[in-house]
Amino acid sequence: MEKTIKKSWPTFAAFVVGFLWPFVQGLYLSFCKFTTVDKVEFNGFDNYIYALTDGEFLHAFWFTALFTVVSTVLINVLAFAIAMALTRGIKGTNLFRSVFFMPNLIGGIVLGYIWNILLNCVLTLLGQPLMSLSAPYGFLGLIILMCWQQIGYMMIIYIAGLQSIPNDYLEAARIDGASERQILWRIKIPNVMPSITICLFLSLTNGFKLFDQNLALTNGDPRHLTEMLALNIYNTFYGRSGAVWKGYGQAKAVLFCILVIVISLVQLKATRSKEVQQ
Amino acid sequence: MYYLNFKPEQDKDWQALAQAYTAETGVPVTVVTAASGNYETTLTSEISKSNPPTLFQVNGPVGLENWKDYCYDFTGTEILGELTSDNYALKDGDAVLGIAYVVESYGLIVNKTLLQKAGYTVEDIQSFADLKKVAEDITARKAELGFAAFTSAGMDGSSDWRFKTHLANLPIYFEYQADNIGTTKAIKGTYLDNYKAIFDLYINNSTCEPSALAGKTGDDSRNEFLAGEAVFYQNGSWEYSQLTGENAFTDEDLAMIPIYIGVGDEAKQGLCTGTENYWCINKDAKPEDIQATLDFITWCVTSETGTKAMAEDMGFVIPFKNAQESENLFVRQDAEYLAAGKVPVSWNFPTMPSENWKNELGSALTSYAAGMGSWDDVVKAFVDGWASEYALLG
Amino acid sequence: MNTRQSVRNRITTVVLAILSIAWVYPIVMILFNSLKKENAISTDSAFELPLGDAWAGLENFQDAILNQGFLTALWYSIVITLSSVVLILVCCSMCAWFITRVKAWYAKALYFLFVFSMVVPFQMVMFTLSSTANKLHLDNPYTICIIYLGFGAGLAVFMFCGFMKSVPIEVEEAAMIDGCGPVRTFFCVVLPILKPTLISVGILETMWLWNDYLLPYLVMDRTKGYMTIPILIQYFRGSYGRVEMGPMMASIMLNIIPIIIVYLVCQKHIIKGVAAGAVKG
Repeated sequence: MEKTIKKSWPTFAAFVVGFLWPFVQGLYLSFCKFTTVDKVEFNGFDNYIYALTDGEFLHAFWFTALFTVVSTVLINVLAFAIAMALTRGIKGTNLFRSVFFMPNLIGGIVLGYIWNILLNCVLTLLGQPLMSLSAPYGFLGLIILMCWQQIGYMMIIYIAGLQSIPNDYLEAARIDGASERQILWRIKIPNVMPSITICLFLSLTNGFKLFDQNLALTNGDPRHLTEMLALNIYNTFYGRSGAVWKGYGQAKAVLFCILVIVISLVQLKATRSKEVQQ
Repeated sequence: MYYLNFKPEQDKDWQALAQAYTAETGVPVTVVTAASGNYETTLTSEISKSNPPTLFQVNGPVGLENWKDYCYDFTGTEILGELTSDNYALKDGDAVLGIAYVVESYGLIVNKTLLQKAGYTVEDIQSFADLKKVAEDITARKAELGFAAFTSAGMDGSSDWRFKTHLANLPIYFEYQADNIGTTKAIKGTYLDNYKAIFDLYINNSTCEPSALAGKTGDDSRNEFLAGEAVFYQNGSWEYSQLTGENAFTDEDLAMIPIYIGVGDEAKQGLCTGTENYWCINKDAKPEDIQATLDFITWCVTSETGTKAMAEDMGFVIPFKNAQESENLFVRQDAEYLAAGKVPVSWNFPTMPSENWKNELGSALTSYAAGMGSWDDVVKAFVDGWASEYALLG
Repeated sequence: MNTRQSVRNRITTVVLAILSIAWVYPIVMILFNSLKKENAISTDSAFELPLGDAWAGLENFQDAILNQGFLTALWYSIVITLSSVVLILVCCSMCAWFITRVKAWYAKALYFLFVFSMVVPFQMVMFTLSSTANKLHLDNPYTICIIYLGFGAGLAVFMFCGFMKSVPIEVEEAAMIDGCGPVRTFFCVVLPILKPTLISVGILETMWLWNDYLLPYLVMDRTKGYMTIPILIQYFRGSYGRVEMGPMMASIMLNIIPIIIVYLVCQKHIIKGVAAGAVKG
């Protein structure tokens, strides 16, 4: 069996090239001033000090956090509601399911432009300023876009969860005279808890890491007010010239990375503790 | 060799010239043009590759500050000797790190035929007050005349540089003149009221509502001008080839006049003439590639084919001894203004602190035009932004 | 009770039907506008049907295909997606087999690293990854799959490991005793058992690869004009002073249509794949 070790070296080699080495190098470069990986000058914590005092970065953090919370709640509530409706055996269930899931197959850039065109047209008809002029509309646009894309995905997971509840439970509850509401809160929700954790985790990380949609829909306009963390880092890296910016960008990226890891760990812990209880 | 070109308008011409060079000498030349407004982004990512550009551009002293570690010193090269004036060499100390390869002018391009229809001639406009009078009169009679005074001042990324950079040059120029300086780390914004006046004039006498400007592109604006929907179009000599030719205008229809903002001696004000295009050679390239690049640009500005392409196809005035007479109407007009004793407004936007400063100013202008932001925000982006961006440069 | 329930079901159906229309509408709108003439596309008339003067037929589609480099982008997108998915499936399933069957500290460490890489956002490595790729000449559509194998291995290895744990080791041992080498055992015994997971992983990776924008944008050599479809669409904005809405919307449609066809054909697998992937994740 040990011989198989030789068979998985290509994966490991690619992993080193495609992840490990860039990651380690990125970590190191966050303490440096550099314009290319060959012109590097160590400068300690300067980059981090800048990143943590950069108003735009902090704004991007709060904007991202707000966006993530709002979109996570909306997506999951709506996806769960639709999943409930689609597990009642009504006509056309399959068709509805297909339609709701479809936007997931379309990429972020394309989705962003579709909604950019559509929402700007709606805003023009209503005589309102375009998304690139008004941060609240930009925020709203991002939320609508994310809901449109993600609800279908989460719905599929919730449907799988709901369908795995043994029918006996529901029957027994009905015979005991439980109301639909009681069934929902006492039986359905506790039993789909694993699905809920997964969906929460997915929508949280998707929200935090959002880039393509942000770039295509608002591109941070107006005045970086709708710029999320990933886009802010990208703009620091490639939108500015000068020897200092790459280092700032890399430091921001490390902070961003730590943030995402912390969220994932908290989530993992929550999942583990749930499993123990069951 | 690999040339990362800054000017999207001339992309096709550069490709053709590169092919001509390859046909003549057998040396392959790659020309890549960065999308409008993305030059810095593209250059930053390209320069760190294993096959980086050997020839790239900076826009002047501030741009050079960011890239001087990569610039080859032109001292002693043939092309440096070809320059008509030492002013076109961009220096850092004693080293010559950049060479200007084109001198351009911009102003208000006028559709003379339409202006005549409205009952005026180019000679009637000699100051900001005249311009305002004419523009507002045209707007008042817009329905009857069937055209507007100005093309849309589009604030899309493909067009906003006309206002956040080129128009903003005027208040900066006059401030530098008044204070007798050539650059500053703290702009005062002495003439920002005049900047507001001209921008207001543009957006209130335009083909469209000010609120629609945010989404208008550079093409929209040019198409409006070509379609005869407006009399005035703020742009530069590089637009000449796009405005003339088949289904477009002849020299008879067009003129370029100075952008008056109501400051200084307007009777003596000329077009805005200068350069923000300096060639730099990547000093980290292999010696033979550096030589090949030098050969190419020298050929461009000295050979018959090269100078002809630059003068005729690209419409450039090049500051080199072998330059050919330009066919470009606007360029010829600039010379006429100069001969008539008018003083050209120099290009001071290479002293703007960064791309980011321009972007912030552009955003503020867009919001202001749409009625979503106040002029105070524009002033803040202009004055405070200037200081904070210079502070970041260190 | 029964009538009340059927009324409620009917209301639910109506609500869902309205929602479905809202779900499909944006795409229909882009379709309509992609059939309009350039000068008829504006924010004021976007909701009108492409009739009369506005009707442009397939002009925009022709323009997108012939003049805007759509076919090249399509070809690169297909090459990149196919080569990367195949590589990821083969290499990662093998790697997962190794991790689950070899009980050693380094196997565990490797597993941990793969899971870790799943969490790390792309921005963390974007600069260093593109410079590494460039140095190793992995910056063209034919070799970029190696980068994708490295960066995309996390999810695949994780999912394969999750499944592999539940596969009884006895079958493999039997095959080994019968004289199969590890490679043959893997391809003849293990891989067939893995089929459902292969499909799930394949679908998730395809969805990601086909739509990925930033990685190919930063990694691929721009001087050679390599572009995938998302890059092409992004390029319509921000390029050369004009936004050609007609061809842009046509390209969007040309990007969506194959996806929808594939979706309609393998819907069951896709939905199952997503559900299975989520349970493992």
